[in-house]
Amino acid sequence: MPSKETNVQENSKESSSEMEIDACTLKAMSSSPSEKIHLRPMTLFDIDDFMVWATDINVTRFCTWEPYTSREAGIAFINNFVLPHPWLRAICLDDDRAIGSISVTPVDNIRGEIGYVIGSKYWGKGIATEAVRLVGEEIFKEKPEMERLEALVDVDNVGSQKVLEKVGFVREGVMRKFMCLKGNVRDMVMFSLLPSDSLL
Amino acid sequence: MELDSNETQPTVVVSSTPGRISLRPMTLSDVDDYMVWATDAKVARFCSWEPCTSREEGIKYITDSVLTHPWLRAICLEDDRPIGYILIMPVDNIRKEIGYVLARKYWGKGFATEAVRLVTAEIFKEMPEIERLEALVDVENVGSQRVLEKVGFTREGVMRKFIIMKGSVRDMVMFSFLPSDPLK
Repeated sequence: MPSKETNVQENSKESSSEMEIDACTLKAMSSSPSEKIHLRPMTLFDIDDFMVWATDINVTRFCTWEPYTSREAGIAFINNFVLPHPWLRAICLDDDRAIGSISVTPVDNIRGEIGYVIGSKYWGKGIATEAVRLVGEEIFKEKPEMERLEALVDVDNVGSQKVLEKVGFVREGVMRKFMCLKGNVRDMVMFSLLPSDSLL
Repeated sequence: MELDSNETQPTVVVSSTPGRISLRPMTLSDVDDYMVWATDAKVARFCSWEPCTSREEGIKYITDSVLTHPWLRAICLEDDRPIGYILIMPVDNIRKEIGYVLARKYWGKGFATEAVRLVTAEIFKEMPEIERLEALVDVENVGSQRVLEKVGFTREGVMRKFIIMKGSVRDMVMFSFLPSDPLK
């Protein structure tokens, strides 16, 4: 180490401080969120945490659904949609409490569509990016028949577009008047990730 | 020319240049002309179907898939004989997809372009609920991409590994035309 530092100190101050950090640490710092997350199946026990994001109009803005207004409706949603879903995970912090969810839904035999939602209190911390990256790393091993993982994002949902770009999804183009969202026909940006793509 | 909104008796649509093409419903009596393109492997190359191998098979396909289709028109020359067909398929409540096939002898003469232009000019009046007319073209099917570009469709991007065609997963170019877009 000392000999490396000696060489480096001949160069600019900036590069010498970078050299003191090894490559692994640098990657971890640049790619991980400020809080560590993990993914696990969602259960009915998550209902109260679910209601935190599901009742938030800021969260539901680009979702096809309206904010939930009753715990009963939330329980019905978990029973009817979450539990039977082929691939849906709660996004959890260290305390294992759910702060959002992420899912991969089959479009057909070879295509899956990723979707995710995070409580607004946790926005801007790289959490969605990390959750999408975790899924991108694992999903093709879990589902070897999947040739394409895609995402459709409202043109106005810039935050979510940035998440996918940071993970390494390819922005394929804007599909005009593609989907009805809450009674309006929206332009949507199409993204895709293939098993052969490199994650960023 | 306006398309009759009564689906059971669609009017004949004639192109603006006399002596070019017209669109009309297909019938079983078109089977021999149908066989000309349906048996051609070069025509079938980017289609989901394999070339037809017998007249019986052709009759069966016309009966089961063509005559029952919600919106399909023969593309005819002056003699009213079909040289291909063009169709509109529902994707969902607001989106429809256009598809077309032409016998190889008639490629490179602008007939497909004219057929797509005719349909695009009329379809939004006939189906006012459509917000988006789209087309998916194999990345290698450059001829068909040019047809859509010449009519004024917008090339939105390449959807990678989008559909399985004859056992291979293909990259497809997505095109769209909105009611508000100008026809070229």
